[in-house]
Amino acid sequence: MTLKYVGKPVERVDARQKVTGSAIFVADIKLPRMLHAKVLRAGVPHARILSIDTAAAEKSPGVVKVVTGKGCKTLFGTCLWDQPPMAVDKVRHAGEAVAAVLARTPLQAQEALKLIKVEFEPLPFVLDPIEAARPDAVLIHERNGEYRRAEYSVLPKKGTNIFHHYKLRKGDVAAGFQEAEVTAEGEFEFPLSSHAAIEPHGAIVRFNLDGTIEAWASNQGPFVLRDVLADMFGVPTSRIRVRIPYLGGGFGTKSDVCIEPLVAYLASFVPGQAVRLILTRKEVFTGSFLGRGMKGRMKIGAKKDGTFTALEATLYFSDGAYGDTGWPIDTVAGHNCTGPFEFPHCRTDSYGVYTNHPPVGAYRGYGHPEGQLMVSRLIDMLARKLEITPFELMKKNFLREGRKNSLGQTITAAHGNLDQCLEAVREAVFSAPIPAPDDEYYYGRGVAAMMKSPKMAAHSSSVCHLTVSADGCFFLNLGGVEMGQGCKTVFAQMAAEVLRIPMEKVRIGIEIDTDHSPWDWMTVASMQTYRAGRAIVQACERAIEGLKANAAEVFGCEPDEVEYDGEGCRRKNDPEKKLSTGSLARGYIYPNGLTVGVPVDTSGSYRIQGVTDPDPESGTGNAAGSWTFGCQAAEVRIEKKTGKIEVLHFASAFDPGKVVNPQTCRGQVIGGVVQGMGATLMEKIEFRPDGNIKNANFGPYRIPTVEDIPRKQTVTFIETPNPEGPWNAKPVAEHPIVVVAPTILNAIRDAVGVEFYRLPVRPDDILNALAGEKKNA
Amino acid sequence: MPELKITVNGVAHRLEIEEGRVTLADVLRDRLDLTGTKVGCGVGRCGACTVILNGEPATSCTVLAGKADGAEVLTVEGVAEQGRLHPVQEAFVESGAVQCGFCTPGLVMRIHHLLSANPDPGEKEVTAALAKHLCRCTGYEAILEAVKIAREKMKKSG
Ligand code: FES
Ligand code: FES
Repeated sequence: MTLKYVGKPVERVDARQKVTGSAIFVADIKLPRMLHAKVLRAGVPHARILSIDTAAAEKSPGVVKVVTGKGCKTLFGTCLWDQPPMAVDKVRHAGEAVAAVLARTPLQAQEALKLIKVEFEPLPFVLDPIEAARPDAVLIHERNGEYRRAEYSVLPKKGTNIFHHYKLRKGDVAAGFQEAEVTAEGEFEFPLSSHAAIEPHGAIVRFNLDGTIEAWASNQGPFVLRDVLADMFGVPTSRIRVRIPYLGGGFGTKSDVCIEPLVAYLASFVPGQAVRLILTRKEVFTGSFLGRGMKGRMKIGAKKDGTFTALEATLYFSDGAYGDTGWPIDTVAGHNCTGPFEFPHCRTDSYGVYTNHPPVGAYRGYGHPEGQLMVSRLIDMLARKLEITPFELMKKNFLREGRKNSLGQTITAAHGNLDQCLEAVREAVFSAPIPAPDDEYYYGRGVAAMMKSPKMAAHSSSVCHLTVSADGCFFLNLGGVEMGQGCKTVFAQMAAEVLRIPMEKVRIGIEIDTDHSPWDWMTVASMQTYRAGRAIVQACERAIEGLKANAAEVFGCEPDEVEYDGEGCRRKNDPEKKLSTGSLARGYIYPNGLTVGVPVDTSGSYRIQGVTDPDPESGTGNAAGSWTFGCQAAEVRIEKKTGKIEVLHFASAFDPGKVVNPQTCRGQVIGGVVQGMGATLMEKIEFRPDGNIKNANFGPYRIPTVEDIPRKQTVTFIETPNPEGPWNAKPVAEHPIVVVAPTILNAIRDAVGVEFYRLPVRPDDILNALAGEKKNA
Repeated sequence: MPELKITVNGVAHRLEIEEGRVTLADVLRDRLDLTGTKVGCGVGRCGACTVILNGEPATSCTVLAGKADGAEVLTVEGVAEQGRLHPVQEAFVESGAVQCGFCTPGLVMRIHHLLSANPDPGEKEVTAALAKHLCRCTGYEAILEAVKIAREKMKKSG
């Protein structure tokens, strides 16, 4: 059947609200008697708190309450409970909250902050994960290993800063390297970075006098947040209500529980009054989450014909002061650092290490960019050693039907077609001859292949509620959060398709309200189209059944003698008997008021099938529910005089099974590539000698502007049917960022002959490397 | 308390404002409930808070309220006319230049000004104007497309 809405670039359901400024974000919400919070942050990266004097601040104009962590017994978390909402007796990073003022206006709160005096006893601090992992390093958490945790999945080493050690043991890696005739290895670094969503984090929390707690937050996981707050305050989940308005960009930084526990803790001191905290941009850097932060080494081996034999890697993640958000990234990086290739023998060790900076949380790509930077660069090196093209080498080893990935799962054809992706980017970038270096520029080309599987809770599910109105419109309600990715539009498209109605007749709830929205695990891992799509199809099909059942009562026949056609229901073989959707929505009402049937109100749900956490010993198992494959290629030019790197052409090809909305899907790719270019060429969190972040604001921390984008981008979608997904669709949203860095680094190598292992690569790095080469020659 | 006279989207206001660092963005958002103007950085680096101040684009987060005394301001709420989207807004919708939408109001104001001042800006001029804005979602491609669409629409509507 030809599709009318799925696969079409329909207008976003949220676009008009957003261009007119009427879309409501958390910072736009005002509540009666709302207080404003400002937070005093430690300013020292590791110290014992000796005293906090709040007396003067308490008397400052407009101040209602000054709060410290003194006596706070609560630790919050989802799988590892290691973090207090506010520093209690020590601080573990310079941005940690030590006190907060609640006042009538933000300015009054800010003024009072200046009057708080804190005495610290400084402790040695550590910002490097390899140093922090050493047995003699200063301990950031004395209780590491004793905290409550999900014991199957979080694997700490007591008495060290290693709060999680994931290990992958597949085959016999020593034998694998014995078989190898060529190897490539290197030490790599993917620095800490900022997600830089343009909307800063915000939250409003109110403890109501009836014992309920309400929160409004910029968060991608309202239901997880609800559970965390319930756990923190020891109240039943049913007493907590979380609402999520529009989200101004997430990229992972809003997927984990972040400032909400702090704001809730503050609000618990002023029952009946709402407390609001909107972070400044500087605080987004110092007091929310950072991303990435990996130092690692990897070695791969192959036979002379290019067949991979083994992979060995060690990854150290600088996960910051608290570990609940880092450990799953470390795990997935540990098993997916192989990229989309088969290595018969693998051994990886991925360490989540406490360090004295803000905690690291999910960031678009979730461990995949970190791990696959290494393998993609090494493949490029290995190809040169083998004197074959990277294309040949990759093709030879791609995960394809019948092969096994690092987790031991068998790949099927439905998982995607890497050959076609590779061919698409080769054709786009490599088919014309490369320009020869001229007086001004070097030119180079590079290519890389990626895979990503969602890291998710094994119970990860979505639910869709559907109601029908008397004018024949359908209302959908789902717990998936709209943060810019366009999930609500895709939901509406899918509903319109199944219900055979125009888009205007589908209405979709935007705000999430845990009291009224159906449960949804979280909006992460690019899963909404895939997972919620199945729930929507089911809810819509059930609604059609409901309408038919109502019509059958009127027609006096069996429901299977009734046909639904998008406008209403007819009796088969009797065109005269026809009733509109609207007239059947609430049961059918005869002129005298007599009503038959019942209101049509349905739900659908879908859970990811058969996923478990990896086995703690081997690191293998059915830990991935789906994969998406893709390839990228770039042509760069480097200015000889300045070292400036320009991306002339960047090509991406992904296999998302089915593109539901070509416009929003292309938007995900273009945006992801540019964000990845930021990481490759510009972005890095830097620290002052005193342990504070040096570039904690836009400006000093530079992200791409319109002047930094590629001259040209080509985007191709390969659509290999994936029967598990709705209309064959599977995840694609984070994927475009995964191998942007190695693609460009491989192109830089091609242009100037220098192997780069660390990000970012800036013009100075190019000039220094070239100067060094001359010196060495 | 300092007093501020300001005309926003054609409406004159007289307000008493708090002592201290109150910015034009604060006045618009907190006092006049014009929350369409967004604050992404507060230091003049992201462009999300861009409004038209006395005929020129300005980052309202860096303009102290006192400096806006007597000013005329146009915000994103004042761009649509009689309930109809402005061509720049329509262009954003059509081109897919809206993802999370947090950078959008500032960009709408910037492009509104750009095309009102010069109906046919060159590529360099467009890039220079947009370079004052950060968008983390779109990679800018669709925003450049929106400028093209808006230019054609505005030419047609004269
Ligand atoms: S908020 Fe004003 S420029 Fe960023
Ligand atoms: S659309 Fe999200 S920042 Fe531009």
